[in-house]
Amino acid sequence: MALFEIFDPKAPARPIGIDLGTTNSLVAYVRNEKPVAIADCDLEVLVPSVVTYQPGGDVVVGRRAKLLASEYPRDTIVSAKRFMGRGADDPETRRLGPYAFVDAKAGEPNTVRFKVAGDRVVTPVEVSAEILRALKEQAEDELHHVGGAVITVPAYFDDAQRQATKDAARLAGLEVLRLLNEPTAAALAYGLEKKQNGTFVVYDLGGGTFDVTVLVLDDGVFQVRSTGGDSALGGDDMDRAIAHELLAALGFDDKRQTPQLVRLVLDESRKAKHALTTEESVEALVPGHDSVTVTRARFEELIKPILDRTGVACRRALKDAGLKADQLDGVILVGGATRVPAVRRYVAQLFGKEPLADIDPDEVVALGAAVQADLLAGEGRSDEVLLLDVIPLSLGIEVGGSVVDKVLPRNTTIPCSAKATYTTQEDRQTGFEIHVVQGEREMVADNRSLARFTLKGIPPMPAGLARLELTFHVDADGLLAVHAKEVTTGIEQTVSVKPSYGLDDATVEQMLLDALDHGEEDLVRRRVAENRVEAHRILLATHKALEADADLLQPGERDRIVAACEALEESARGEDPGRIHARIESLDDATKGFAGRRMNRAIARAIEGRRVDAVEKSVEHAKGIEEAHAR
Amino acid sequence: MNPFAVLGIPERFDVDLTSVEKQHRELSRALHPDRFAAAAPSERQAALGKAVEVNEAWRIVRDPIRRAEALLALHGVDMTEEGAPTADLEFLNEMLEQREALDDAKRAKDLEAVHKLAHAIEAKSKAVEAVLTEGFAREDYAALAGKVGELRYFRRFLDEVSAIEDELAA
Repeated sequence: MALFEIFDPKAPARPIGIDLGTTNSLVAYVRNEKPVAIADCDLEVLVPSVVTYQPGGDVVVGRRAKLLASEYPRDTIVSAKRFMGRGADDPETRRLGPYAFVDAKAGEPNTVRFKVAGDRVVTPVEVSAEILRALKEQAEDELHHVGGAVITVPAYFDDAQRQATKDAARLAGLEVLRLLNEPTAAALAYGLEKKQNGTFVVYDLGGGTFDVTVLVLDDGVFQVRSTGGDSALGGDDMDRAIAHELLAALGFDDKRQTPQLVRLVLDESRKAKHALTTEESVEALVPGHDSVTVTRARFEELIKPILDRTGVACRRALKDAGLKADQLDGVILVGGATRVPAVRRYVAQLFGKEPLADIDPDEVVALGAAVQADLLAGEGRSDEVLLLDVIPLSLGIEVGGSVVDKVLPRNTTIPCSAKATYTTQEDRQTGFEIHVVQGEREMVADNRSLARFTLKGIPPMPAGLARLELTFHVDADGLLAVHAKEVTTGIEQTVSVKPSYGLDDATVEQMLLDALDHGEEDLVRRRVAENRVEAHRILLATHKALEADADLLQPGERDRIVAACEALEESARGEDPGRIHARIESLDDATKGFAGRRMNRAIARAIEGRRVDAVEKSVEHAKGIEEAHAR
Repeated sequence: MNPFAVLGIPERFDVDLTSVEKQHRELSRALHPDRFAAAAPSERQAALGKAVEVNEAWRIVRDPIRRAEALLALHGVDMTEEGAPTADLEFLNEMLEQREALDDAKRAKDLEAVHKLAHAIEAKSKAVEAVLTEGFAREDYAALAGKVGELRYFRRFLDEVSAIEDELAA
């Protein structure tokens, strides 16, 4: 369910792109065909992804929250993104941070919960929603009316983490046009400016995540060949490596480290890291303690294991793409941590060429998201640019003996679907327990569990006779739905995969009501407004289709469609959201056959067009690569 | 679904993957959900269905095993795992030996030995693909099912190699 502002014809809604980062977030939009980041009143574009919950109930976001961090270490949540979609018992969860966690009560979803000032309990989704709300307000100050948003996520984010990000956007009152993988966004930001064809690697070392993506740019199509990475590796780990060194040098063992001290030392470590980009050595000074010298050489030694871990992922991604390093046309750097000279050297050596870094590595993702938002909102050149993304991790189900049967392998282009058929193991088995998992390992326990559900009501049959047909369907956002059907009886069930440690719909709905402080009545008005906008959009699209492909209509079909249009128009003048919705569905029924025929025509044209200009295009393609090399 | 028809390419085993990838991209360009973000739901649904089909077809054609299976199925040879003929004993014994060698290399954490075994299997795999190309050209379908089975064994072996590489790298 999308929630957007009541339609105001005077101020056109402007689509925005948001990079919801681990360390910093930012918002951008396309102005005069060029993406630009939106600055706050202090002319800063980076909003630290930090939220402080103050004792009085006030919530502070961004730079001010960052300043409050050492004063309120437990009430200030930094790097909330690391906790998105993670279970409270996930080992990653307790790895770092001075937070106070609240354990889930029996029967509650197993979500991470922080205990903050004033006995408030907040989830990572709510923390992220505060950041998104602040970004939305920043954008509104500049654009007045903000439309839908494209929000970027690491390519390596699993289903739970993507769903959590969408939930946060809903809480912040943002309509999500699309979740976009960060590396793809970066390539989009580069591609539009440079217009070159070829094969590229995006090396994205951010605050908390590492992603590597191999993509092919071809006449405006960005096709992801493979992705890899680590959702818990980044610049923060470099800070931690320095911090361990500082704490040891200052003589603190684990027991004597207070939350305040850890925070101070981490801040100091981050400053030292930044300084070492240009300096050969720095004096790290933790207030109230002796200063410690950190040389660049020592720093590079400390981060070597981090770089090596990125190297493993890079080699795997190249292998999955079926490529050798010398077949690459370029390497794009993304993420603040790629400013570290040792990282650039490592990348240059790994891929055998100097990486591209012309666009600010902190801004490039948000700029790409803005470009995509502009395209999706229909104001840009959607005919020219298209993203073909893949699923980052294999999806499968548990079969006998806790083994995973992969249904969709990683790096399959989305949207996609696949079927797999299974049978019963026991006589008179009346239910199928279906366990959906994500990951590459053979044993269920080594992968991430996404969902469990049971298909019930199958009549007792001898073992091996029942046939369970599972269909996995992944949409363009990379979100999975699983459809289960027992073929001999026709019993079926569809589940949108909502991970067990995420938030269920009812919880999100309740949070939404709480956060908006709207009554039922307001919600109905919103629904009417939303449905009306939807109705007008569909009417417009239908009229266009009737005009463009009138020859594809069957006798009487036009009359049926026109009648359904008129009925919809009539309902959209009323105030009953259910009635508008029902009429939208009837129009949809009336146009189904016509839509299918139009699609077949589009396909035939694509195949024909390719035959005619195949030669021409391959010449252009070759030229593009030449230009890329000459650059 | 006939994946060759979906992609608009001739039904043959030796395909030019670069050209087919290009074809897939053109079809995706015409069908991608982004192009229908503002369209009526029926049209979005139709486009999505076709996009899924085109992606599935490309997934089949790009993979030599699935491509061969699809071609054989088109010529009436049952190529599901159950329908495939059992491989000959000599081949099975050889694979068993290779598997044991791989297990030994894994236990010894000898990445070099693992790579050596992988290269040997990759070479065998290429040779079998050449046999398939020839066989399909001769339209000698019935004899090819066993060869596809061999490719499956090689694939599983190479998947295992990848898993070992990951494990040793971590």
